[in-house]
Amino acid sequence: MEVVATTAELHSLALAVGGDAIAASFLIPAGQDAESFQPRPQDLARLRDARVVLRVGLDYDLWLDRALRPLRNAVVVDASTDVALLDVRGGGIGPGDGHAHGRGNPHYWLDPANAEMITGTILETFARVDPANAKRYEANRLAFLSRLEALMPEWSRALQSARPIIAYHDTWPYLARRFRLRIVGIIETRPGVAPSPAHLAQLSRMKVAAIVREPHEPRRDADFLAARSGAKVAILASGIGTVPEARDYLSLIDYNVRTLAAALK
Amino acid sequence: MIEFLALPALACALLVAIHAYFGLHVLRRNVIFVDLALAQVAALGATAAFILGHLPQSPAAYAYSLGFTLCAAALLASTRAWSSRIPQEAQIGVIYVVAAAAALLVVDRAPQGAEHIRQILTGNILTVGWTELAWAAGLYAVVGLLHSRLKWTGWPGDFAFYAAFGLVVTSSVALAGVLLVFAFLIIPAALGVLHAERFRTQLFIAWGAGSVVAIIGLALSYALDLSTGATLVCAYGAALAIAGLSRLRSRLLRYARWGVAAALAASALWSAALPRADHPLLDAVELVAPKVRAAYMDEKSLGIAAEAESYAQRYRGEARKLRDQEAERRWKGEPMEEMEIRRIASFLKSYNEMIKGEAFVAREVRSRAREARRWAIAGGFLLLAALVVGLPSRPPRPLQAPSQPPLPDR
Repeated sequence: MEVVATTAELHSLALAVGGDAIAASFLIPAGQDAESFQPRPQDLARLRDARVVLRVGLDYDLWLDRALRPLRNAVVVDASTDVALLDVRGGGIGPGDGHAHGRGNPHYWLDPANAEMITGTILETFARVDPANAKRYEANRLAFLSRLEALMPEWSRALQSARPIIAYHDTWPYLARRFRLRIVGIIETRPGVAPSPAHLAQLSRMKVAAIVREPHEPRRDADFLAARSGAKVAILASGIGTVPEARDYLSLIDYNVRTLAAALK
Repeated sequence: MIEFLALPALACALLVAIHAYFGLHVLRRNVIFVDLALAQVAALGATAAFILGHLPQSPAAYAYSLGFTLCAAALLASTRAWSSRIPQEAQIGVIYVVAAAAALLVVDRAPQGAEHIRQILTGNILTVGWTELAWAAGLYAVVGLLHSRLKWTGWPGDFAFYAAFGLVVTSSVALAGVLLVFAFLIIPAALGVLHAERFRTQLFIAWGAGSVVAIIGLALSYALDLSTGATLVCAYGAALAIAGLSRLRSRLLRYARWGVAAALAASALWSAALPRADHPLLDAVELVAPKVRAAYMDEKSLGIAAEAESYAQRYRGEARKLRDQEAERRWKGEPMEEMEIRRIASFLKSYNEMIKGEAFVAREVRSRAREARRWAIAGGFLLLAALVVGLPSRPPRPLQAPSQPPLPDR
């Protein structure tokens, strides 16, 4: 069964459920901005041959809508369907005081507990499209969830800190909720709009332990605040491949937890 | 505020100093977008270095950037030979788009590659540090001095200009970003050209006006809580517009009257033909003076609109309270259960729908009132247009055309 996921994270979770019974690929190369991605001719060919297409949803991969128009047979699955969403603001894109995604913050895969819901949605789809392998998919998912459950206490222990954090972009609410992290400020409150001096001045007065940014986010603003507050800068990854250590879903979460724990020490 | 903006203000003055000098040359050569092309080529060089295994900000990466920029300078110096058939600006545009597209193709092959292009092209004047400012000042002083002393002409002269300019732009774009560097380059120089004829006088005007506008822009950005780069660019745009308009004020007064009258007459026609559509002029007036609505809305309609607005305000407050409560419980007190999170998400969706509903009610009531009074509104606009046309006016003074700026006296 051909499965195409928009992101490497969904691809990794699809492989965790499908195992050898599926041929999975993903569209957005590691480290690229998922929201401004433009599919290439080979991507369209892969979508055409796909039996199942997995998407993040919540306006995160809107570019997929145009690419899906000519498809007839593929089952398109929104992986956010069963996730408890944070930062819901409205029905779609519009003016607001935070993240542009009105339907909810789309970085839900960064809470490892949400992997249960996401893989549940994937399992239900795979079993419907390929009923002959349904039992195999279920066993794969249970094996993946037991590995995840084994790691959860270790991750929770590593992040037992109430020290405040500033994030460059509002990417981490799901991770923060799961591990009780205290994010007290966001540098770039509106995506793509540089912070104002008054906002930076306000952030620079905060006593924080760490400033969190991704490799593709501007280094200057985070370094500037770190120099003023004495906080450490932690480079986290929201996607697989963004840093070499994040090779699959579990190593992505593991990398983020360890990096953040080291910065909060 | 002063403590926070002192270094950015100093950086702006430094950037204005070097870019106004090159800007006057750029205006004279009529190669306006050359800085964008050179910055993009430098970014392509840094990306190629990354692909070849060199760390960003390493000497090798800088050498690649410089090498690519010098190649682009050689190419740009040759564009004059073809400019009789293809305008130089078109050739510069081609270099820019090809460099941008090539960088995208190169980045496609490198994980985490896109970040390097972004780091090169998206400086932030607000977070500039002493060390990088000192480096930039040294570089600008050397390049500016060398270029002003060179007497080369022909292709070597052109190459020296583009190479020196490329060096400056590559460094300044990393400090301040592409948009702001373009504004520093063109607008202070244009202000100088507008008010003087000698190169030296133009340069002094550009330095003075450019620095003053930068300080005003920085202060506005702080006071109004706006993005600094964008505010500075808009401040420079406004300064140029004011300077241009002040030179044309006698002719402007004559044409402005007809322009305002035409806008009022068009609004009259638009109100009569499609009273429920958007009416930018009337909406702008109402935004400044909401009481104007009372001229065409009766008390009942005004009451309904006010009630809808107050309900929308209440729902916004409730939604904000729920979001804040959920955000606080991420780290404080007992963690929220999944069901509670889902319930809050559901409430937030409902509140947002209700806010949209109230906005619809307020708009509908206003649209109905505009429809009912369409002829009165149209008549009001026409009357205003007639009044504007009938205003007494003085005969315009003849306009002095600015003469062509002479060659710089180096």
